[in-house]
Amino acid sequence: MKHNLLIVALCFFGYTNAQNCTYTFIGKVIDYHDSTPMSGATVYIQTQDNYTTADVNGKFSIKNLCNGKLNLVISHVGCETKHVEIDIIGDTFKEINMEHHLEELDEVSLKSKGNKTTKTAQETVIKEDVLIRYSNLSVGDALKEVPGVSSINTGSTIVKPMINGLHSSRVLILNNSVRLQDQEWGIEHAPNIDINSASQISVIKGSGALAYGGDAIGGVVVIKPGKIIRKDTLYGRTILGGQTNGRGYNVSSSLNKNYNSGWFTQLQGSYKRNGDFNAPDYNLTNTGLDSKGVSVRLGQNKFPSGFELYYSYLHNEIGILKASHIGSVYDLERAINSGQPTVIEDFSYDINAPKQEITHHLAKANYFKRFQNFGKLTFQYDYQNNKRLEFDVRIGDRRDVPAVDLTLQTHTVLADVNLDTNLSRKVNFGLMGRYQNNFANPDTGVRRLIPDYNTYDFGIYTTTEWRIDNNLIVDAGTRYDFNRINAKKYYRKSRWEERGYDEDFSNIIIEELPTQYLTNPIFDYHNISASIGAKYYLNRKSYIIGNYALASRPPNPSELFSDGLHHSAARFELGDLRFNKEVSNRISGSYNYSSSNFNFSGEVFYNQIDGFIFLRPFDLISTIRGPFPYWEYQQTNAEMFGVDINATYSFTNSWHIQNKTSFIKGYDLKNDLPLIDMPPFNTINQITYNNTAWHNFSASLKSEWVAEQNEYPNFNFEVEDQLTGEMITIDISSPPPAYHLLHFYSEASFSLSATTSLNIALGINNLLDTSYRNYLNQLRFFADDLGRNITLQLQLNY
Amino acid sequence: MKINYLTSNFMKSTKFFIGAIFCLTLVTSCSDDDTPPPVLEEELITNVILTFANVADATNTVIMTSVAPDGQDGASTEVVEGSFKANATYSLSLALTNETETPADDILNDDIIPEADEHFFVYAVNDMNLTMTRDADDIDAADGNKLGVKTTWDAGAAGTGKVNITLVHEPEGADDSDEWGSVTGGSEDLNITFSGVEIK
Repeated sequence: MKHNLLIVALCFFGYTNAQNCTYTFIGKVIDYHDSTPMSGATVYIQTQDNYTTADVNGKFSIKNLCNGKLNLVISHVGCETKHVEIDIIGDTFKEINMEHHLEELDEVSLKSKGNKTTKTAQETVIKEDVLIRYSNLSVGDALKEVPGVSSINTGSTIVKPMINGLHSSRVLILNNSVRLQDQEWGIEHAPNIDINSASQISVIKGSGALAYGGDAIGGVVVIKPGKIIRKDTLYGRTILGGQTNGRGYNVSSSLNKNYNSGWFTQLQGSYKRNGDFNAPDYNLTNTGLDSKGVSVRLGQNKFPSGFELYYSYLHNEIGILKASHIGSVYDLERAINSGQPTVIEDFSYDINAPKQEITHHLAKANYFKRFQNFGKLTFQYDYQNNKRLEFDVRIGDRRDVPAVDLTLQTHTVLADVNLDTNLSRKVNFGLMGRYQNNFANPDTGVRRLIPDYNTYDFGIYTTTEWRIDNNLIVDAGTRYDFNRINAKKYYRKSRWEERGYDEDFSNIIIEELPTQYLTNPIFDYHNISASIGAKYYLNRKSYIIGNYALASRPPNPSELFSDGLHHSAARFELGDLRFNKEVSNRISGSYNYSSSNFNFSGEVFYNQIDGFIFLRPFDLISTIRGPFPYWEYQQTNAEMFGVDINATYSFTNSWHIQNKTSFIKGYDLKNDLPLIDMPPFNTINQITYNNTAWHNFSASLKSEWVAEQNEYPNFNFEVEDQLTGEMITIDISSPPPAYHLLHFYSEASFSLSATTSLNIALGINNLLDTSYRNYLNQLRFFADDLGRNITLQLQLNY
Repeated sequence: MKINYLTSNFMKSTKFFIGAIFCLTLVTSCSDDDTPPPVLEEELITNVILTFANVADATNTVIMTSVAPDGQDGASTEVVEGSFKANATYSLSLALTNETETPADDILNDDIIPEADEHFFVYAVNDMNLTMTRDADDIDAADGNKLGVKTTWDAGAAGTGKVNITLVHEPEGADDSDEWGSVTGGSEDLNITFSGVEIK
């Protein structure tokens, strides 16, 4: 009975109609954790005393059935054998979840329930076959597969994921159960993850996954490395790719060795390189990329206990469009009005200033032990070291000295207990401690944009999941986080007084210098977060989900302390020590329908955020470079709401169409203005042809239409040409016009031997070489986005 | 309840681990308590002085001073001392310094002139009868242009107007064929306008 509880959730009983024994049952055996088809699963049809096997897509069919009950026994390597009772009512289709529960490494990690952790959150999984297509790109690019996820870019290689219009500190990224700590506050700080180390990514909208943190006002991205099966095997994969735009090439390889005893080891490495990209009409000078990544895993995974050691290294050197380096507001005005980059040089692989050089190390160790009739206990320790160097265009012998040199080190310990003896009343609780140290190297010769600081975080959480009956699952959770930030920051006396800190914060000055104060701000934040949700099956093809989440986020170091010149944007950025935490109340609802040829998912949400912190152009200051815009972080109350739709329909076994649409609005309630940087309406339509008989050939044509953002705050400002007295308008607000792009993708797989196969994929992005600019690209003022890109990728599995 | 009983058991068996977590947190949190040194800002230009000397009359100079104590990252004050004489000729000398360092850092001679091929001075006037030429012994900049640190200025009829000096770093294209100079691309390190400049 206990066993069946897992099944009944997805199994719904209808009523028997007239007797007629011509019906066909189609089953699909999938992994309970990540829905990967389980090819080769053995299906024993008890009623007929007959056997069949699931095909490569995990599917099998049983013909000539009568209405009534059908009993199946399904088995697969590494899984518990499963008994399923199915009600046949006419032609019937059913997905059967196999539980890898005992065998998989996933059990070692804190994320013990696979992507089902958030039963009632809006969660979408991107599977390995899709991720492989993004081998030469970034995690941020792949996440856009999910409707409602966009990205905020700085050029085309710095891609920050944006979930329902929220990004940076509001999106929590977990890499192999480790919360990424990589100075994620900045728009031009892309997540430090090699997409080739991921075998599954799941996107959770909103803060439903409380075990990971309570501050995910935007959402959570859960990145998982490859699964490890407990048997003696050695396998690997190598990907080679080439791209015409940027003359890029990439290579990625992974090797796995597993043993029956539960020991496993995995080695993965990748290298990507490209030179200057090109827009349809010109080269994008200095947009090259050099990216190296290595990861190693080692451990033992047995049912009663197991451990894992994991290390990953990523080094990225990223060129930033040369024409985006500007000295004054006049340069910005010229860039905006000229319509094309002010610097266009011939193609080169060279990466010069302005550029970023980022190194990220991640090491983790974890251990779990199961206690009979109790549950599972997991400990984890992780260490991350993130070094960020930003090189500006400088003069003299300083040209090789970075203008920003930050090292962020993070230690985290976690303990998690999962009480799963009663499968209909699961309880999970745990605690987290974290220490973080940021060091801003003074040798840059540039005032620190972000100061030296230490943070101390402590979190405690509990979540529970109840199966009320066959059709209804309810989950709830609550979490408390304490955050302390202890910084040492120099303020110019002029800034200190201009901000009014001399009145509010005079007690934090610890040293006075001729022109500066050294201050020691220490701030404590107490954050409560909670979530409650329900999933209800209307019938066997459809379910609805409702979820409420309360999340709160302390202001990040850049929001509190920013104070200085941000070169790439030609602006001063100013934080505010007075900021309070952000508190979000998010209500969401989803409707999901799936049948053998039609799948539909519709998600709506409303998010009300008190104390929403955003950066906006505020004022001008007259400097010896001419007038310079000040951008200030401000705090307001905001609301956001939107709809995300994903629908697929199969006309035949070979022809499929898909639509993904997302629509979002966001408003600043205090100032009665639209929010800045909201993704415009977009819709993607795709038609796919596939034929398994032709080496699994498939080809698809995708149309991507992005509307003009018609609701934006007008933060344009006017400056006086000091020489002529003429007023010049700096149009930094107007969004670019709508655009439509076509993309082509095709692939086929060839079996080279019993254990090796080759997959060849050819893609053409921006097929018509359309010139366009993206509202969410910070470099849209300076240049068009990428032109046509033909990509070829060879994937060898062995 | 069963779970309660087991929970207490579990608490006992893992007291050590939880203790260890707190210890680790405390130990690491005490490791860094030193005071960061102030940054010695190297890129600053705080003082810009344009000295126009009458080639025929050593007592007549026009000095235009721009002082920005926080460098490019703050407010600046512009002062003009003296006035031009109508129909006189002046030679202009420039001084660009960083006065936050002791002794002051000579940005013009230490940084800009050694990298003349990456820099270019552009001048402009408004409502002024001033013309300028780049001297034959001016420093060579990129593409056969003159950098604009040695220039000669001719004052015309009396009047009051503005003088602008712009220093462009790494211009994509520079052109001094009209003597004032013009650029495409690059970024402005300085863009200073002096107003109330008089020719008497």
